[in-house]
Amino acid sequence: MMNSNPSTPMNAHAPSSSSGGAGSPDSNAPRRNSKRPKYSRFTQQELPACKPILTPKWVISAFMLVTIVFIPIGLTSLLASRDVVEIIDRYDNACVQGSKSQKVQHIQSQTTNKTCVRSLTVTKRMKQPIYVYYQLDNFYQNHRRYVKSRSDNQLRNLGDENDTSSCKPENDANGMSIVPCGLVAWSLFNDTYSFSTSNNSQLAINKRHISWKSDRDEKFGSDVFPKNFQNSSFIGGGRLNESLPLNEQEDLIVWMRTAALPTFRKLYGKIEVDIEAGETINVVLENRYNTYSFSGKKKLVLSTTSWLGGKNNFIGIAYLAVGGLCFLLATTFTIIYLVKPRHLGDPNYLSWNRNPGGH
Amino acid sequence: MTSNRPSLPTPGSTGSDLSSSTSSNNSDNNQIPNLHSLQNSSSQLSIKSNSWRASVNFGSKGVSVADSEGFSISRREINEDDARLVYVNDPLKTNETFEFCGNSIRTGKYSVFTFLPRNLFEQFHRVAYMYFLIIAILNQLPQLAVFGRGASILPLASVLFVTAVKDAYEDWRRHKADKIENNRLSSVLVNDQFQHKRSKDIQVGEIVKVSADETIPCDIVVLCTSDPTGVAYVQTINLDGESNLKTRYAKQETLSRVPGKDVISGLIKCEKPNRNIYGFQANMEVDGKRVSLGPSNIILRGCVIKNTDWAVGVAVYAGRETKAMLNNSGAPSKRSRLETHMNREIILLSFFLVTLCIIVSACAGFWLRRHQDELDIMPFYRRKDYSKEQVENYNYYGLGMEIFFSFLMSVIVFQIMIPISLYISMELVRVGQAYFMIRDDKMFDAASNTRFQCRALNINEDLGQIKYVFSDKTGTLTENKMEFQFASISGVDYSGEKIEFYGEQGGYNIQVDGQVWRPKMKVQVDSKLLKLSKTRNDTKSSKEIYDFFLALAACNTIVPIVVNTSNPNEKLIDYQGESPDEQALVYAAAAYGFMLIERTSGHIVIDIQGERQRFNVLGMHEFDSDRKRMSVILGYPDSTVKVFVKGADTTMFKVIDESLNLSVVKSTENHLHSYSSIGLRTLVVGMRALSIAEFDTWQTSYEIASTALMGRAGLLRKVAVNIENNLSLLGASAIEDRLQKGVPEAIESLRKAGIKVWVLTGDKQETAISIGYSSKLLTSKMMQIIINNNSKMSCKKSLEDALVTSRKLINVTRASEDDASSVALIIDGTSLVYILDSELEEQLFELASKCAVVLCCRVAPLQKAGIVALIKNRTDDMTLAIGDGANDVSMIQMADVGVGISGQEGRQAVMASDFAMGQFRFLVPLMLVHGHWNYQRMAYMILYNFYRNALFVFILFWYVLYTGFTLTTSITEWSSVLYSVIYTAIPTIVVGILDKDLSRKSLMTYPQLYGSGQRKESYNAKLFWVTMVDTLWQSVVVFFIPLLAFWESDIDSSSLGDLWTLAVVFIVNIHLAMDVIRWTWISHASIWGSIIATCICVIIIDAIPALPGYWAIFNLASSGLFWICLLGILIASMIPRFIVKMFMQHCKPCDRQIAREAEKFQNAMEITRNGEIEMNLPHR
Repeated sequence: MMNSNPSTPMNAHAPSSSSGGAGSPDSNAPRRNSKRPKYSRFTQQELPACKPILTPKWVISAFMLVTIVFIPIGLTSLLASRDVVEIIDRYDNACVQGSKSQKVQHIQSQTTNKTCVRSLTVTKRMKQPIYVYYQLDNFYQNHRRYVKSRSDNQLRNLGDENDTSSCKPENDANGMSIVPCGLVAWSLFNDTYSFSTSNNSQLAINKRHISWKSDRDEKFGSDVFPKNFQNSSFIGGGRLNESLPLNEQEDLIVWMRTAALPTFRKLYGKIEVDIEAGETINVVLENRYNTYSFSGKKKLVLSTTSWLGGKNNFIGIAYLAVGGLCFLLATTFTIIYLVKPRHLGDPNYLSWNRNPGGH
Repeated sequence: MTSNRPSLPTPGSTGSDLSSSTSSNNSDNNQIPNLHSLQNSSSQLSIKSNSWRASVNFGSKGVSVADSEGFSISRREINEDDARLVYVNDPLKTNETFEFCGNSIRTGKYSVFTFLPRNLFEQFHRVAYMYFLIIAILNQLPQLAVFGRGASILPLASVLFVTAVKDAYEDWRRHKADKIENNRLSSVLVNDQFQHKRSKDIQVGEIVKVSADETIPCDIVVLCTSDPTGVAYVQTINLDGESNLKTRYAKQETLSRVPGKDVISGLIKCEKPNRNIYGFQANMEVDGKRVSLGPSNIILRGCVIKNTDWAVGVAVYAGRETKAMLNNSGAPSKRSRLETHMNREIILLSFFLVTLCIIVSACAGFWLRRHQDELDIMPFYRRKDYSKEQVENYNYYGLGMEIFFSFLMSVIVFQIMIPISLYISMELVRVGQAYFMIRDDKMFDAASNTRFQCRALNINEDLGQIKYVFSDKTGTLTENKMEFQFASISGVDYSGEKIEFYGEQGGYNIQVDGQVWRPKMKVQVDSKLLKLSKTRNDTKSSKEIYDFFLALAACNTIVPIVVNTSNPNEKLIDYQGESPDEQALVYAAAAYGFMLIERTSGHIVIDIQGERQRFNVLGMHEFDSDRKRMSVILGYPDSTVKVFVKGADTTMFKVIDESLNLSVVKSTENHLHSYSSIGLRTLVVGMRALSIAEFDTWQTSYEIASTALMGRAGLLRKVAVNIENNLSLLGASAIEDRLQKGVPEAIESLRKAGIKVWVLTGDKQETAISIGYSSKLLTSKMMQIIINNNSKMSCKKSLEDALVTSRKLINVTRASEDDASSVALIIDGTSLVYILDSELEEQLFELASKCAVVLCCRVAPLQKAGIVALIKNRTDDMTLAIGDGANDVSMIQMADVGVGISGQEGRQAVMASDFAMGQFRFLVPLMLVHGHWNYQRMAYMILYNFYRNALFVFILFWYVLYTGFTLTTSITEWSSVLYSVIYTAIPTIVVGILDKDLSRKSLMTYPQLYGSGQRKESYNAKLFWVTMVDTLWQSVVVFFIPLLAFWESDIDSSSLGDLWTLAVVFIVNIHLAMDVIRWTWISHASIWGSIIATCICVIIIDAIPALPGYWAIFNLASSGLFWICLLGILIASMIPRFIVKMFMQHCKPCDRQIAREAEKFQNAMEITRNGEIEMNLPHR
C-alpha cells in the first residue's frame, strides 16, 4: 500500500509548476538558480587516464629488458676497468722509519732531508695520458669544521679580502687577513714528485689544467694574490707563490675542491707519454706533508683512464649482479605464471566469491 | 509542542519513578509558541554538549542530569545580581554603569597593530610550527649552526608568510563586512521621535523600530507591532537556516502603546547574555505590573521581519552580546582515525630520530676519545690556539659538551625524519578532496537544490572505514513530507477510494471578495468522508466528523499565510509551521472543507464549508515530550468552551474516558494498529466540553501558572494534565511519511559493504518495523528478537534469553552454512532506559553485535547518543550517524562521523554535522566511493611521506658515518631545504587528491570493496614496517652505489652530493610513479615536472660561484660513471619493491587488485556472470 503511489507529491507537481505555480516551494525555485555543480570531467574526477596494470607479460619483459641492458653494461664496465693500468705506491712509511714520534719529528723539522726515492715497476703498457694522483687515507677533508673553514668570497673578489669570519682559526696572522684563509687552504698538500724512467730520461709532468676550468675562470680570482699565507707559527702545509694570482695556483684549486670521503685522491699532474710494460719508473719525491701525527697514509698513484674513469670493478660487478638477478626473476616468474596461471580480473577470485561462508 | 511526531519519549514518561524529578526540570522552557519543544531542548543539549559528554551517562539519569544542566540557567529565578536591568526608553540610565556593550560588532580578529603578534601567536599554536621554530632557533647557536641562517629560516618563514597573508585577507573581508553592518541605518526613538541612527550607535534600552523585510539590528523585546494583536512574523534563516515564519508576540500590556505617541517606560530584568537562541527568560515591570517574558517575546539580531508592517522593541542585548554573535562558532573539530594512527607512527619515527642522533653522538664521542691525543694538533679542534701570543683553548668544549652538541646538531640535520610537511600536505589534500566531494553531481539533490557540504575538513578519510551506520528514520530514511492518508472517526475507518485533486479546478476552495482562496498543497481525500463532511445535519456521526476536522484545523500552531499567485483572482493559503505532521493535518482539514484562514494569539478563523467562523483561543497547552500531546481551549461563538486534545496514542488512551463508548475505543485501537503496521504515523484526537465552573478554575490556574516566574513549565503542565482528562474520543488520523528515493537500494549496498545499519527512531515499534521491511532492512527470513520491557529485571531476563536464542541460531546457521537467515534485534526506548548505563549494557552489546540489524524505536535523543556510545566505546570500529532533526544532534556529535540531512526539520542537525547532504541515498557514493578514495589516498600519502623523509634522513645519516661523525652534509643545504618543499612535495599532494584506485562504477558494483578500509588494509603497522625496511634498502642503494663506485677516486663532495640529491629525488618520484594507478595529465605533469624542477634547482644552485659546489653538476654530468650510477640506483632500489608487488598481485591478489584488472580488461560477460553469483548467494 505504501508503494502504491510511487510518485511523491513534489514530483507530481514538478511538471505543472511552471504553469500553475501551485507546487511546493522547491519546484517553484527558478531553474537558473540551481546550485547543481557544473559538470566537467575534472570535477567529476573522470579525466582521461591511463591505468597501467602489471600483467605477467609486462613484468617478464621488464625484467628481461633490465637483464638485456644491464649485463652488457656490466661487462663493458668490467672490461674498461680491466684495461685501466694503475700503480699504487704507499710511501709514507717507506720514506721515514722509526716510531710515530720520530716520524713526526722528522717531518716537522725544517732541516732534515725529506727527499725520498721510490721505484715503480710498470707491469702493463700505460697509454698516455697517465694521471698522477696522490692519495690520502684517514684524512677527513669532509670534517664539518674543516669544510666550513674557507671563504669563497675572498677567493673570488679582491674586495672581499677581509671576509674571513668563517675561516677561524686561520683567519688572520699578525693582525692581517690571510689570503687564502681557512683550514682548507692552510693544510695544502705539499709533497712533490718527479719521475724518470729506468734509462734516466726525465718524464715530464704537465701540471697545467689539472683543475676544473670553471674554478679557474670564476671561482678563483685572477686579481687575488696570496697574502700573509703560512705566516703564523703553526704551519699546516704548502706555501704559495705570492706573485701568482690564485686562479693560476692549480694545486691550491684542486686541493680546495674538498674530497667527499676520508680516503681520496687528488690530481697532481699528467704524464703525456706512453710507458711500456716492464719499465721501471724512479720517483724522486719530497716527503713534506705531515700525515704521521694522525696516522694517515700517503700513496702515489699512477693511473691510465677509461671512459668510466679509474680502476673500479664495483660498477661492473653490480650491474652484472642486478642483470643476473633480473634474469633469474624473469625465469622464476615465467615458471610461476606457467604453473599457476591466474586469469586477470576474474571476479571469481574476489574474496566474497571465493569464500562465501566457508565453501 | 505541536509536533506530534511521537519521537520524544523521555524516560520519565514510562519510568514513573524518575518522572517527577526530571519532568519539572526538563521542560521548564516549553513556553515557546511556534518553537518545537524538542528543538528547544536539544539545542540546549547541543550547546551544552561538552557537559553531557563529560558525564558519560546516557540512560534515564543521564537525561535528567543533562537536562537540568542544560536548563539550569533559565530555570533559576533571575536574582538581582545576575540580572541585566534594562530601563525601557532610557538608555542613559540603563547604561549608567557601562557594563553593556554597544551595538557595534567586530568579527575581524586583528587590527593593524595587533595583526603581527596575534597572528604569529595563533599560528604557533600548531605543534608543527613550534617544532620548526625550535629547530631554527637551535640552528642559530654558533656551536650548532648546521645550516646557514637563510636556509634554516626560509621554510618556516614562507609558511608563516603565506598563512599570514591568507589570514590578513580574510580578516580584511570581515572588517569590510563589519563596517557595512555597523553603518546600516535603523530607526531609533530619540526624544519621542524616530530618527535614523547608525546601527553601531544603538544602545541597550533604546527603542528600535523595524519595518517589514528589515533585518533586526540587535536583540529586542517586542513592545508592539503593526498587528493589533501584537503578532510579528519573523524569518530566522540567518540564525538557524529555517525558512519558515515564526511568530513573536508583544505583551498585552505594551501592545497598545505606540511609541512616539504614548510614553513607554518600564524595567526589564533579563538573564545575562547567553548562546541559547531558543531560550529567553525575563520579566518586565510596566505600570507597576509584573509581566513575564519568554522566548516568544524576543526577536534576535539577524532575523528579518516578514508580513508585518513594523515592529517596535527595546534593545536588550547589543553587539557581541547578542545571541547571534555569541553563536558565531564553527563546528567542533574531530580528528580522523587515520591521523590518530599516524601520530602513533610519528612517535615511532621520533624514536628512530633519537636513535640516529644517539648513534651519531656516541660515535662522535668515541672518535674524539680515540683521537684525544691528536686533538691538540687538529686545527679544527685545537685545544690550544697557537695563533695568539697567549695560548688559549680553542673550539673544544670538553668531551661531554661535544657529545651533547653533536646530538643537537644531528637533531637539526635529521629534523625532517618527523614529516612536518605532511601535516600541511594533509590539509591541502583534504581541501582538494572536499572540493571534489562538494562538486560531485551524484551527490547533488535537485529537489532541495542543495549540494553536498563538507563542514569538517579533517575527517574525510574516516568515511572509508565506517563499520556502523546509525540512522534516524523520519526525514532521513523517509522524506518527512507528511501526507494525510486515513482517518478513523468514531470507530469508522475511512480508508477507501481516493480522489486526487490535481489541476486548476480541483480541491476545496473558498470565495473571498471575489477571489478564490485555496490551500497550497493538495491532499487526496476519501470520497465517502468528503461527502459526509459536506452534509451538515444533526446526526451523531455528522457531528463527530465536524468535531474531528475542527480539532485538526484548530488544535495546532500553524499560521496561515495568504500568498499571491500569478492569477490576480486566486490566492493560496500557505500553512507555515514547525511540524510537518501538523501541516499535513491542517491541509487535510482544509481539503475536507475546514479551512484555517487566520490565526492570532487570541483567536482563529476557520472557514467551515464556506461559512466563516471565529473561535477564541482561550488557552493552549504546548506539546511536551512527557505528555506527548497538546491541547487547545476554544471558545465557540455561542460562548461554549471546549478543549481539544491531540497526541500520541499511548498517552491519549490514558486520558480518554473509555466508559463513554468502549466499542468505539476498541475499534479505533484496531484501526491504529493496522495503520501503524503499514508504516503510517498515527495521532489520536479527543475532545471535551467544559462547564463554566471548570473553565473558570482552569483559567485562574492557567493565569497563575503562565505568569509564574519559578517552574512555570511545571505548573503549566499540571494545569494541562488537570484539564486533559475524561475526553471523548473523536478519532485518529494516519499520516504517511514516504520512504526517500533509493533508500532500500542504498541500505542494500551498505549491507553488502559490510556496514551494519542501525535505525534509531522515535516512532512506534510497528511503524519502525514496517519501515524496516519496506527499506529492506528487515527481511522475512530474519529472526526478530523483540525486547520490550518495563523493568530492569525483565530486561535482564529477556536479554539473556535473546542471547541464548541468538547463539543457538548462529550455531545452527554455521552448521548448515546458511548465511541468509540472521537475527534482527528490535528494542524500545523504555527497555533502553534500564539497559544503558547499567551492567546490562555489556549484554546488549554482545547481543547487538551478533545481530545483522538493530532497530531501536521510541528512543529519546540522548538515548540515541547512548547507543552510539555503546558501540564506540566497546569496539575499535568506526561509527557514522546520520539524521536530519534536532533530536539527532546528540547522536551526530557522538559518532565518529556525523552526517546531517538538510531536510524539512530545520538546520540543527546540519549545523552539528561534519558532512551534510540532501538525501539518504547519497551515503552510498559518499562512503563507498569518496570515502574509499579518500582513505586509500590519505593512507598512501602518509606512508609515502614517511618513506620520502626517512629515505633522505638515512642518506644523510650514512654520510655522517664517513665524516668523523661531524654532521657534514654533502647534499647542499639548499637542496636539503627544498627537498620537501619543491623536489618532492607536489606529486604526493596531486596523488593524494586525484589518484583513484578503482573507478566509481566498480566501487558501486562491488560494495564489498569497501571492506579494505574497514580492515585497515592501506595503513597499518605492518605496512609501516615494510615501508621502513624498503626505505632502509633504498637508502643503502642510493648511498653505497655511488660511494663504492667513487671510492678512492678524486671526486669532490659537492659532486657526490649532487649525485645523491638527484638519485634520491629520482627514486622518490619514481617510487610514487610506480604506485600511481590512474595516470592523468596532471599526475604526469606533477611527477615529471618535479624531476625537471629538481634538475633546474640543482643546476641553479651549482651555478652560483660563491658556493663551494660551483659547476659540480656540469662536471659530473659529463662523466659516464654518473649516468651509470644513476641508472643502477634506480633499478636496484626498486627491485625488492617490484618483486613484492608482483608476487602479491599474482599469487595473493587483493580484491581491489582483481577489480582493477576487471576494470581494465572489461568483459561484459564476466560482469553479468558475477551479477548472477551475487543474486544467487542468499539462496545457497
